[in-house]
Amino acid sequence: MATDTSESTETAPSTDRLIGHQTVERLLGTSLYVVSGLLLLFLWVPLAIIIFLAFAENAVTIFPFEGFTLDNFRLAVSSDSMRASLAGSLTIATVAASVATVLGVLASFALTRYRFRLREVYRTFGIIPMVIPGIILGVALRIYFQNLLGILPGFATVVLAHSLYGFPFVLLIVSARMYTFDESLEEAARDLGADPITVFRDVTLPVIAPAVGAGFLFAWIRSFEDYIRALFLTGPNTDVLTIWMFSRIRQLDAPELNAVSALIVFGIAIALAVAMNVGNVTGYVAGTVTEEEE
Amino acid sequence: MATDEPDESTRARAVRLLSGPRSRLGVTVGPSAAWILTLLVAPLAFMVAVSFFEVSSLTYQIIYEPTLNNYRSLFDGGGAIWNTPFVTALWLSYVIATVTTVLCLTLAFPLAYLLARKGGRLFKLVIFFVLLPFFTMYLVRAYSWVLMFGPGGVINSTLMSWGLIDAPLGIFNYGIPAIIVGLTHAYFPYMLLTLYASLDGLDFSIIEAARDLGASRVEVLRDHVIPLTLPGIIGGSLFVFVPSVGAFITPTFLGQGKVQMIGMLIESRVAGTYSIGYASAASMFVLVSIVGAMILAFRYVSIEELGGA
Repeated sequence: MATDTSESTETAPSTDRLIGHQTVERLLGTSLYVVSGLLLLFLWVPLAIIIFLAFAENAVTIFPFEGFTLDNFRLAVSSDSMRASLAGSLTIATVAASVATVLGVLASFALTRYRFRLREVYRTFGIIPMVIPGIILGVALRIYFQNLLGILPGFATVVLAHSLYGFPFVLLIVSARMYTFDESLEEAARDLGADPITVFRDVTLPVIAPAVGAGFLFAWIRSFEDYIRALFLTGPNTDVLTIWMFSRIRQLDAPELNAVSALIVFGIAIALAVAMNVGNVTGYVAGTVTEEEE
Repeated sequence: MATDEPDESTRARAVRLLSGPRSRLGVTVGPSAAWILTLLVAPLAFMVAVSFFEVSSLTYQIIYEPTLNNYRSLFDGGGAIWNTPFVTALWLSYVIATVTTVLCLTLAFPLAYLLARKGGRLFKLVIFFVLLPFFTMYLVRAYSWVLMFGPGGVINSTLMSWGLIDAPLGIFNYGIPAIIVGLTHAYFPYMLLTLYASLDGLDFSIIEAARDLGASRVEVLRDHVIPLTLPGIIGGSLFVFVPSVGAFITPTFLGQGKVQMIGMLIESRVAGTYSIGYASAASMFVLVSIVGAMILAFRYVSIEELGGA
């Protein structure tokens, strides 16, 4: 049956093959691990070097190594401009993510529970703020606020832009959760006489709460790390951490920047480790949350 | 139960609002629809309009007389059309974004496959180490590559101190290769997570069946794995390609003035001289090409299939 060109089975290796099936299998398996290991290395080496340099006397390169110090951290924490911009970014991210979460939860509810005209159009436009390049959204909003509405850039314009930017993340994560939600639970509550608000608070919200939290976190991070939208939409009285960092990096010699970056990596590592032990973070990120996994 | 319950009258009104089909749509869809209309549709429509108007270089006010001058200035550089800053930057952006996308796809596929096939502790650990850079500030990741590259950067200085090279290597200097590496590092997790999501839903018994029936690895990949995970491949490519085209931070840091991508060109015109007419016209080309890419992608996948991330 098997012609000489077709692959042979494990039990009867053909004579013209130099290496057996088992060996190929093992080699491929090993190379899959090797490639994956190298990839993790690629993802991690630059961050590891930042963390290393944050503790080093020399700010930019490893060699010649001059010894360890905590001065970089002291410098970072004592910088007034850094503290002001950090406070600004924390405020912007928190307000914008809260607005995005409220809008996103309401919208997810409508998308998964109601049928209405233009539903698909609404859904598509709801996702656009996430995929449209930041530079275009930033410039478009800047021109719109300044030239059409006569509003000068400042705190309000950044928050509005970031709340729009964060909205799709909440929408996708929460509506994915709502789709897998057993609607008969809500119906049962309604049949037993609960009004819509009670149903939402006592039945729906407890089930979707982890997704709402994940959506808020996503929107928050997106706002906190955004540079280009903030660049066009912030005013002289609103300091943003990314803008402060950007100007420092441009000068190419900023020892305290390594410390700030290292602190951010540590902070995110702790938050992520906690989140991964509490909920199914991978599922929310990759959009693979299903009823059984919850 | 809840201590901060609204008083009965407000509550009764809210309940009434949510009972009617029309008013409950207004409450749930209304706020976000208003946001989308006033903060997305209106600004983009205004940007289209601005691209057809002259902008006074003295007062920065828009002169509302239709003109094609903004579009003409994109292709007017005194020399050949393909030598204008706009055409060069747009072309370079497409090339860099395409290479980045292909690189991300080929790098992410093996890891996504491994993650989808294996589970358990190792899986959780690997996912943690992939997600951590993903959640780390974009700016920090771009900065980390600023330290790596350059004539005196970590790569060159390390190789030199080990005695492997005598002088800094050009490929590890700032420039296009550095930008591609930086962008790959930045958007790789999007590709990985999208691919993982679609490989995770794959029934691996199909692959085993095909293998048992004598299909080679290449055949299985070509005939089963790739067609079944096509939504993930297209979705992931879109999530890498689109932001790469409009990238700003990475090419600014890792090009160090030697390379100009389209996002940098638009930024410099607005931040420098507030040439919003030119910037709007240039943005139209980026928008149209992105919409084109998305329409092409949506012929193969629905927006739901694109899923999270």
